[in-house]
Amino acid sequence: MTTESLNKNDKTEKNEKSPKRVRVLPAPVTGQEVVLVGVIALLWAGLALSTPAFLTAGSIQPLLVATAPIALIGVGMTIVIITGGIDVSVGGAIMVCSVLTAKTLVGSGVNLGVAVLLSVLTGGVLGLVNGVLIAYGRVHAIIITFGTANLFMFLGLQIFGSGTVNGIPGTLAFFGRGPDGRTLGVPHAFLITVLVTAAAWWYLRHTAGGRHFFAIGGDAQAARLAGVRVQRRVLLAYTTTGLLVGLASCFVIAQGTSTLDQTVGSGKELAVIAAVVIGGTSIMGGRGSVLGTLLGALLVQSVASGVTQLGWRSQLSDLFVGIFIIVAVGADLLRARARRSR
Amino acid sequence: MTTTTRGRSDITRLLLTQRIPLLAVLIVVVVVTFFINDAGGYLTASYDFDYMSGSLISAVPLAMLGLAELIVILSGRGGIDLSVGAIVSLSGMIFGFAYGQWGWPLWFAIIATVLFGGLCGAVNGVLVSYIGFPALIATLATFYAFKSIAIVINNQQPISTPPIQELYSLSKSVELPVIGASVPDVPLGIFTFLLPTVVAVWLLLARTAYGRRLYAIGTNDVAARWSGLPVRDTRFKAYVYAGLISGLVAVVTVAQFASARPDAGVSGSGMALPAITIAVLGGVAITGGIGRVAGVVLATLLIVWLNAGILLAFVGNEGSQYQLLALGTVLVFAALLNGLTTRRYGGTV
Repeated sequence: MTTESLNKNDKTEKNEKSPKRVRVLPAPVTGQEVVLVGVIALLWAGLALSTPAFLTAGSIQPLLVATAPIALIGVGMTIVIITGGIDVSVGGAIMVCSVLTAKTLVGSGVNLGVAVLLSVLTGGVLGLVNGVLIAYGRVHAIIITFGTANLFMFLGLQIFGSGTVNGIPGTLAFFGRGPDGRTLGVPHAFLITVLVTAAAWWYLRHTAGGRHFFAIGGDAQAARLAGVRVQRRVLLAYTTTGLLVGLASCFVIAQGTSTLDQTVGSGKELAVIAAVVIGGTSIMGGRGSVLGTLLGALLVQSVASGVTQLGWRSQLSDLFVGIFIIVAVGADLLRARARRSR
Repeated sequence: MTTTTRGRSDITRLLLTQRIPLLAVLIVVVVVTFFINDAGGYLTASYDFDYMSGSLISAVPLAMLGLAELIVILSGRGGIDLSVGAIVSLSGMIFGFAYGQWGWPLWFAIIATVLFGGLCGAVNGVLVSYIGFPALIATLATFYAFKSIAIVINNQQPISTPPIQELYSLSKSVELPVIGASVPDVPLGIFTFLLPTVVAVWLLLARTAYGRRLYAIGTNDVAARWSGLPVRDTRFKAYVYAGLISGLVAVVTVAQFASARPDAGVSGSGMALPAITIAVLGGVAITGGIGRVAGVVLATLLIVWLNAGILLAFVGNEGSQYQLLALGTVLVFAALLNGLTTRRYGGTV
């Protein structure tokens, strides 16, 4: 469907004078996203009514900070899933990036820029490994990334040595929960995430390179015949995810206290995939939006925060995550069925 | 081309395309390697037949869940079950309540637990087969839901009342009758749980009409539908069978820990990922329709004996870290090998 729309795009650009312009791009905001905004608004309103403390800066700011790493990795994961792939190794990659960065901070006291650069580059290398294996080894993404997830965890635990990393200096407080991590009340981590999401939204929607990802997910063979360099695009998708994992790892270190323990990153891959799926991206590839992913991550984190503030067991939020996935994807399935029968 | 080189390339081809001989060779390589290391005194304890036999206890849940994944992945259309670990946790808690607190008779509690696992699997099956959810999404959702319910249902507390603690006897090693004196003792769980499951799944896949239908829908969903096969029912049942096996694994796990733990199947990297790994390593094609029971069983033996050896080769928790390295490396190579054989020889058998 996407290659088709690309062709139409060329045609409309040539025939500028044609009286009726055909809309070639999907709507800027999908129905799923509108619904998500509504659900989040309802949820926040409900929480505000039941616990007055919810709608205060002291409650919303940590919520946004906690959303940031999942949503940021979600941008990369959305691109990967649009190409028809998946990356279940991000949990292991978070562990490698964050423990390497934390150890460097403790050991040599580097400044903020160096720490971020180190973490991002590490993540990029890990993503590159996945990308090379998947694009050139031509194997199923889920299998390879299950494998690399184990390898990354091994690497991370080796760097950990024994026990936890203690006494991490506050270099990364710029991304943290504290007053250093905010400008005009907006947490930097969330701001960066929103900016990255906006850039990715524009890139995916308005550039040929961005549309290529959709083309690959729609039909990789057709995309190749249409001149898309499929392998390079796939490589780029996984490497981007790796780079974003690196940046998100800085947020993760900054959110914690001055210690980092060996459970860091565990289970995050499923949380990211859940956010992407709730955001309306099709796991079959070819369709999706980073905006939805940001909203999905925000919804999941709002539920988690709400469950704790209502004094329920925190593990209960997982049940809601499960229900949200079913409802979000189920609604999408019903819409697709309605489209087909029309 | 001379006959000898031809013969050699035939062997290469056999090893690359036939997963079962390859696994058998790898098992021999692993075991011999550790025997040599043992003889050289590089291991912290003796790697002998007794040790290998004792380590089989960890093969019980692994192989059973690997078989559960086999059935689901065979059903095709992206079939996979991420929720088996969560089903193990939740069914384990149900078993804990039934046997440990309500005092049901053991056989009745086991049946109830297995049926409950089947019910959880039926939820997956309805979502995937009748409503049309992608399997990855449906089982991701139920993974979250079951995991959460298992933890909340008893306020995060494990159940380890006296009847549950006595179950530990199920996982101890026993001497075999007749030939027992000359072979090592074998964990009882192998006979009470693993072997019956292996035989049942093998019969189901290789000797029943259902098994043929499962391979058919996994190979080509559309062709199977046009041939008049009940595609939806067949796929639905695959998830139910996976759930039933997970329920049985729950009983094994409770016996092994002597306690019904709410996070039994999901702690760490959980039980689902190793099970999928075992299935893929055993030659199950992730696209469906290809895979055999023997491959899964051999893959389990390979991983279990490899892990057992690694534990002895390193001191402290280093060993468990190198197990991750081994598992990851083996999986990546298995996947690359699958890709290679598909391109060069047209697929693994």
